[in-house]
Amino acid sequence: MEKSWEPKILAFLCNWCSYAGADLAGTSRIQYPPNIRVIRVPCSGRINPLFILKALQSGIDGVLVSGCHPGDCHYLSGNYIGRRKFATLKRFLEYLGIEGGRVQFSWVSAAEGGKFSQMVHEITQEIKKLGPAKRFVKREDSRAIKFETQNSKDKTILK
Amino acid sequence: MMRRLDKRDFETFLESVMEECDLYAPVSLTEGVSVFKKIDHPNEVNFSQLLTQKPAKEIFFPQSEPMFNYERRGGKIQITSNEEVKRERILLGARPCDIEAISLIEKVFMSEPYTDLYFLEKRRKTTLIGLGCNPPLSTCFCSSAGGDPFLRSGSDLFLVDLGDAYSVELLTEKGMVFSKNKFLREADPEDLRRIKELEDKAFEKVGFSIPMDGIEKRLDLMMESFFWDRVHEKCIGCRICTYLCPTCHCFDIVDEGDFARGQRMRNWDSCLSPLYSLETSGHNPRPTTRERTRQRLMHKFNYFPKIFNRVGCVGCGRCIQYCPVHFDIRQAIIWTSSKRPRKPKI
Amino acid sequence: MSQLAIQEKIREKAKELLSKKEVDLIIGFSNWTLPLRTTPVFIRTPEGTESLIWNSFCENNLATYIHKFSRFRVGIIVKGCDARSLTALSLEKRFNPERVFLIGVPCQRMVDRKKVTKAVKGEILRAEERGEEIIVEGEEFKTVLNKKDYLYPSCQVCTHRTPIQAHVLVDDPVEESPLVEIHPGVNQFEKKTFEERWRFFEKETSRCIRCYACREVCPMCYCTECFVDDYRPKWIGGGLQPQDLQFYHIVRAYHQTGRCSGCGACERACPMDIPLTYLTQKLNQDVKELFGFEVGLNSKTPPPLSTFEVDDKGDFIK
Repeated sequence: MEKSWEPKILAFLCNWCSYAGADLAGTSRIQYPPNIRVIRVPCSGRINPLFILKALQSGIDGVLVSGCHPGDCHYLSGNYIGRRKFATLKRFLEYLGIEGGRVQFSWVSAAEGGKFSQMVHEITQEIKKLGPAKRFVKREDSRAIKFETQNSKDKTILK
Repeated sequence: MMRRLDKRDFETFLESVMEECDLYAPVSLTEGVSVFKKIDHPNEVNFSQLLTQKPAKEIFFPQSEPMFNYERRGGKIQITSNEEVKRERILLGARPCDIEAISLIEKVFMSEPYTDLYFLEKRRKTTLIGLGCNPPLSTCFCSSAGGDPFLRSGSDLFLVDLGDAYSVELLTEKGMVFSKNKFLREADPEDLRRIKELEDKAFEKVGFSIPMDGIEKRLDLMMESFFWDRVHEKCIGCRICTYLCPTCHCFDIVDEGDFARGQRMRNWDSCLSPLYSLETSGHNPRPTTRERTRQRLMHKFNYFPKIFNRVGCVGCGRCIQYCPVHFDIRQAIIWTSSKRPRKPKI
Repeated sequence: MSQLAIQEKIREKAKELLSKKEVDLIIGFSNWTLPLRTTPVFIRTPEGTESLIWNSFCENNLATYIHKFSRFRVGIIVKGCDARSLTALSLEKRFNPERVFLIGVPCQRMVDRKKVTKAVKGEILRAEERGEEIIVEGEEFKTVLNKKDYLYPSCQVCTHRTPIQAHVLVDDPVEESPLVEIHPGVNQFEKKTFEERWRFFEKETSRCIRCYACREVCPMCYCTECFVDDYRPKWIGGGLQPQDLQFYHIVRAYHQTGRCSGCGACERACPMDIPLTYLTQKLNQDVKELFGFEVGLNSKTPPPLSTFEVDDKGDFIK
């Protein structure tokens, strides 16, 4: 079946604010595109820039990093340290030629279910316009590998 | 047998050769940087640099070589091995030091009973076309290392640049295959004289400056010498000398992939890397650059001659040209030849 | 002061330090076998100081040796960039500053030997520096070059050529104005589209042979376990796949954010002539713009990525 391309977006959400915000979006039944996959981290300051690069290299089309608002970090200053990292990383990636819209950052608090879903809508739209990630991707077809088991049932493994 | 190839026929000659074989020749990647690569078109060949950065061993012993691929299909795992070489190959434009180095590496990879299939396949199917060095560089010391800027041994064909043409010597059976090639004309009687002139000039330039004779015996006495405490100081432990060396042959085998598909690869490795000898326990028998520099020089000038009756260096001088801190292996050898091991004069 | 006079002063000071046993070892530069090049030397006796030299080919950053010789009391000959690297290293507590004596030389900018080699046809057998000229000689040529046209890009943009952190300066401080405002590589680059930028980066890094010379010459790369050797998680493979080469260069440059003194040693060491300083210079520019920080000027200011300000710029965050 011919399916039009759907972007795959990875979201690193901090446990205390953004992840809770995403949870709230879910319990409030706020709809947002299913293109997003979430990885929960203790704090946005924990994000190693290599995570973002590795995601881009694995064929992920976009990365969203979200943390607590400045001043509200559960660990007091994690998001401040993260902010500096993100600023330098974003500028560097754009300088190298990786489109600016692919890696995005936001502050989403635990009460902002609506904002989270809005972020997901926005980033999905932008990535759809940018197209699939072609630069820097190690294995083009590594995103989903199908293999048949002995029962001939199709099993799709996400990469 | 001697022939002549006019330079204006060079590209068409290569085209005729490329119809049946894959041609590997020096290619310029950017100004001042060239490597041996498979070429798609004769105009890519570039002899302007005497020595390419990466040596000719790359053709037989690539820096990163997939050994086999594996893939899960239908519940089973399928393995496809990669050592087969489909087409005959020609290595064009390797200098005598690089060709001599290949015969050194052959001793390691092709001696019974441990024959390396990947190397063997490529070597069997390759014809070597050497190119004489006129003129050699000031960093060349091939004649001190048992070689010569016009050494023919090891080449199947040997070219000498005479200005408007190449003189082509067909030396072996593989070389004689070219005797019917229509672009190789009769040699000019003057050619021999011109070649001798170039050879004499080159040999005078390279000379016999480095005392390699007996270095194996000298190093036998020097394993724990204070000499190593000083020689290693400026080495920063990068891998340039080993990767650009035509005779270095250490490698690492790694698997890359996931449970669905992947590859086993053989990559170049370097004894100068601290991780090279790091053991699982955490112990490292070569913890500092002192031990690693000693290892490199001992391997080249003591262990290798003991096993293979030849120093493990061909005097190409790449390590001298490209070392970021200007370590000069010729100086290290000269220091070993003083009457007794002593502190180098710095 | 002329280069010869500076050389004399360096020898004098080094001799003094060794004679008074204030240091165990002097790390400086000396001539060696090839023209256009110098080599690091390690001198332990006052007589040995006669081999110390100073000229526009002293391109290495000697701060890298502090890791290897940290158990000795060392005296190091430093240019502006080298001294800044050492300050950054002392902030990261990599050595005891009381055991290091810096002999500072205000730098007249270093000559790009690769550019000089490309400017002539044939091998250079002898090279001499005479004032503002470089005279290179081969078997069949003798050419005079204008030194100013052959300086390293990282030296052209440098505004910290005087090593103010040094314990002693052998010459008067130089006027700190750059020859060009923005690094030529960075300047060109910012005018390109995303596509063009990536193509350039891809093409240049495709030559990489993973020799790690850039990593080893850099004084700031001292991790005993580099990210390239990490196994769990495995960031990059060991071969020459272009994506691995790109990942390596992006991360190596990025790990220097807020730590790089712009000495250019990485670019000078690369055997495949990959322009690395256009990456590190961009990061230095950004760090200066975003956090007002320049490496090594103040031995108390912490590295920018290890600290924060409440009002840091964050308008790119939604």
